[in-house]
Amino acid sequence: MRDWAELVRQRLSGLALDAQEKDEVHAELAAHLEESYQTLLNQGLPEQAAFHRVLFQVANWRDLRRKIFIAKRSGHPMQKRLHQLWIPGFLTLVLSVVFLATLQGLGFQARVVSWSGPRTTLLYLPWLLSLPFFGALGAYLSSRACGSRRTVLLASTFPALALTGAFLSMFPIGFVLGRIIGRQVGFGIVATTLLRDGIGWLLVPGAALLAGGVLVNLLFSGRTSSQDAAVG
Amino acid sequence: MIGAGIKRGTAELAILSVLEEGPLHGYEMARRIEQQTKGALRFTLAALYPMLYRMEQRGWIRGAWETSPSGRRKRCYRLTPAGKKKLSPLRKEWAELFGALKRLTKVAHA
Repeated sequence: MRDWAELVRQRLSGLALDAQEKDEVHAELAAHLEESYQTLLNQGLPEQAAFHRVLFQVANWRDLRRKIFIAKRSGHPMQKRLHQLWIPGFLTLVLSVVFLATLQGLGFQARVVSWSGPRTTLLYLPWLLSLPFFGALGAYLSSRACGSRRTVLLASTFPALALTGAFLSMFPIGFVLGRIIGRQVGFGIVATTLLRDGIGWLLVPGAALLAGGVLVNLLFSGRTSSQDAAVG
Repeated sequence: MIGAGIKRGTAELAILSVLEEGPLHGYEMARRIEQQTKGALRFTLAALYPMLYRMEQRGWIRGAWETSPSGRRKRCYRLTPAGKKKLSPLRKEWAELFGALKRLTKVAHA
């Protein structure tokens, strides 16, 4: 006797719906598979062949999980975006900033790295080492809400992207301020500062966050594939 | 290659049309569509349920759990008034599209 309910539960694990809604989806799909299987057995197919024919109906369970989530939430596109990007992204941002402030409070100093002569950049090594974990957390939360690969990676690198936005806003703000106070803002200076600080605050942290995000993405794809192979 | 929009449109029309005949659960719906289209339209589980859930969210169909005489619980779908309202313009659109394609192919072969 095949346990179709358990099979569906395992293969759709991580479906981010309410418990009751999720149980109903599992039960409904299991009933469909069970009925397909019984029909094939009644047609005279051997058990193993019937089992494989039934499973052939779903080529990619991860993709089905994503489609079911999107369909169930299709009435609420904003809610979907909120769960897949904004909540994981902001949580990653807040946690990484709080951790940096804690490190500074504990007296950890930034390491000054010189490059190309007198040019220097500041690197908070313990903070940078923590970023892959924060990136992984953001990616995990987004992935649980069935975010696409792009959304998962966006959520994991959200702190670096938000900071990039803030840095780039220096140009228009400087321009407006220059107009108001009647003094020319040296955009060359702003650009040099942006380039110098951009390495320590944007590029390196962004890469560290992305590393965590990519890792979670790979792990999740791998886990689903291995489940596909294991159950049955 | 048939685009996703056309595929979705035909699938929606097929589901609404079979549900017009009476309430059905997912498996029976897929079987009925396959039989009535002589195998031209086939729904796998992966294609059918996301479509049903989307149509349910739009309010065109409504699913409810029912117990069959054999004691099995099945989720049966029925057409809602909004679904019935959607069906006739959808039929008209597809009839126009097929009519246009028929005319076009006749002209092309003439």
